[in-house]
Amino acid sequence: MQNKNSKYAEIQLVHRMTVIKRIIHWSFFAAIINNIITGFYIAYPFLIFGKTPTQADSLSTGVLNSGETYQAFIMTWMREFHFIGAVIIDVIFFVWLYLAFFSWKEPLYKSFIPFGDKMEEAWRMLKHYFTLKDRPETGKYQDPLNAIIFTFFHLLILLQMLTGFQMYVASFTGTSAVGAWWPWLLHFSTDWTLVVFGGLTGVTLVHLFIMWLIIIFIVYHIYIEVWRSVMWKEGDILIPFGGYKYMRNKSGSE
Amino acid sequence: MASDNHSDSGNSNSNGNNSGNNFKWDPLRFLSKKPDEVLKKVDDRLDELEKEYFKGKKDKEENLPNIFGIYGVTRRDFLKWSAFLTSALMLPYIFEPRVARAANILTRTPFIWLDMADCMGNTEAFLRNANPTPAEIILNYVSVNYMESIMAPAGYQAEARRTETVKKYKGKYILVVEGAIPTGMDGKFLTIGAKGDTGLKITKETAKHAGVIIAVGNCAAYGGIPAANPNPTSAVGLSSVTNRSVINIPACPANPVNLVGTLVEYLLIGKAPQLDNLGRPLWAYSGRLHDNCYRRGHFEAGEYVRQWGDDGAKKQYCLYMMGCKGPFTWNNCTTAEYNQDISFPMRAGHGCIGCSQPKFWDRMTPFEKPNADAKIIIPGVEATADEFGVGLFAAAGAGIAAHAIYTGVKKKKERNNNKSKNENNDDSKKNNDKKE
Repeated sequence: MQNKNSKYAEIQLVHRMTVIKRIIHWSFFAAIINNIITGFYIAYPFLIFGKTPTQADSLSTGVLNSGETYQAFIMTWMREFHFIGAVIIDVIFFVWLYLAFFSWKEPLYKSFIPFGDKMEEAWRMLKHYFTLKDRPETGKYQDPLNAIIFTFFHLLILLQMLTGFQMYVASFTGTSAVGAWWPWLLHFSTDWTLVVFGGLTGVTLVHLFIMWLIIIFIVYHIYIEVWRSVMWKEGDILIPFGGYKYMRNKSGSE
Repeated sequence: MASDNHSDSGNSNSNGNNSGNNFKWDPLRFLSKKPDEVLKKVDDRLDELEKEYFKGKKDKEENLPNIFGIYGVTRRDFLKWSAFLTSALMLPYIFEPRVARAANILTRTPFIWLDMADCMGNTEAFLRNANPTPAEIILNYVSVNYMESIMAPAGYQAEARRTETVKKYKGKYILVVEGAIPTGMDGKFLTIGAKGDTGLKITKETAKHAGVIIAVGNCAAYGGIPAANPNPTSAVGLSSVTNRSVINIPACPANPVNLVGTLVEYLLIGKAPQLDNLGRPLWAYSGRLHDNCYRRGHFEAGEYVRQWGDDGAKKQYCLYMMGCKGPFTWNNCTTAEYNQDISFPMRAGHGCIGCSQPKFWDRMTPFEKPNADAKIIIPGVEATADEFGVGLFAAAGAGIAAHAIYTGVKKKKERNNNKSKNENNDDSKKNNDKKE
């Protein structure tokens, strides 16, 4: 993809995200935003929908109130959407895990496993963030620093899944609509959180706290991609939309 | 009734939490696959026990009328109660007369009640009732061989009575322990009786030969309030000091129905009831309060009490915002109810405080605020999860802003430098990103 213009001679197009990965990215985004909003409501029901005279003195009161108890069911809907979002996140997590190792295009593990010069490359990128000098060259694949941070983010998602399932399975009594294996599996995979985080209340608080880490990640992620687009002029922000970015290396050899 | 799942009762005593794990419920208690055989086994056992504890037919038949007569409980009341207990135990209805017989035997079974580090709240709850139910009356009339709060002997005589019971009814007596057991300083934080034996020693000695061991109340089951942070006496629950299996009947105080029910089941089948992985009988502790609460509909509807005594409280809205810990607690308060079977916390208008869960005094506080408002204590800092989160978020935001400003300033400087260089060097530097 050589450009004939001499000024842009070194610019190349790099394919970074396949259609599948872009779909994953945006459904992940939607599901996480959905779960943050509904999760906030479940942790601390900030809107009151049962209107009573003494409870009707705040702005938020009665926004969606339909009157009688049997007509409202706002918490039911919040939990329902939280669970739907959770299912989407779970599926995406496992797809991500699969792609991280078996993707034809770009297995993520190649970028983050700290072998060879990957750690050093990540360190150079970090130094670049603070000195703006010595930009590591853009490669065919994701840079190691991003790969490490994305992996850490997915570990947070995993923890969120485990603590979430522990709270979910709390209302099960031994069996479920799909059989006894389902609660068994959830208990088997998540009961350790009770020991580590101190009972179900602790698990709840950890779930709440990790949400904040995820929010921080989202803000960081958007910032750093915008920053890269502005500083490097390689169109990093376009990756999740079109799948491509540019490569603008000094040597142009890549 | 639960499913007919005939398999071995797999009750691991791992430190999990709730009761759903390994939930293989058998209404026939795994005695046999054939119901007739189960009934025969139970009947044989009851006949044997009756022969042992009663002096003939007259004694056996007049025992309960004598006891209940004092309190004005009629035969009809008693049968109603035994039917209630049968269904609470999740036993088939054919067991009802057998439950009644077991209750009769229970009043004669040798019984040791030890009080350790606690407030004796369970004793009080069982003994002091204006209108006791049969459960409480039976607890008043069990053949108590040793119970400090109600026994006539004192000092050396009381001690002798205990050791004598242990010797005489080896492997038969029921041991009920109430209160946490301090283990710090070799148990010296708690000494009892004329000889000044430590609670630790007494418990170990008595538990060794007991027929069945029951830890009643949260303190005995999991350490409860004496074991709350910072736990200066290193108090622990009963199951931590004895290597025998302990039936935990937690709650603060425990529901008499759960204690009597467990004892009746022990008399019926001769072994401990099925336990969950916190050592609690499944028939009583398999349901989560939140799931069985009569206010659950208001929870789903988003109708919450926001302040004590507001209109929501008058309309019995959900107490989630007032710190109800029902979503974290497994017990049968909502169905078996307290205080002569008429009420439980949520019915009385206050949230659950989670008293049948381990370490409830640390984990369930603050009792009157939602769990999201609970403080996470890290040495030096004490804040809620949201405060931590907002703090970190603000720090991250400040960091990002600082980085953005830094980048902008640096970039500008570079640009100025380049401009001055470019004036000198023409545009030889293609790769410096400054195309505008």
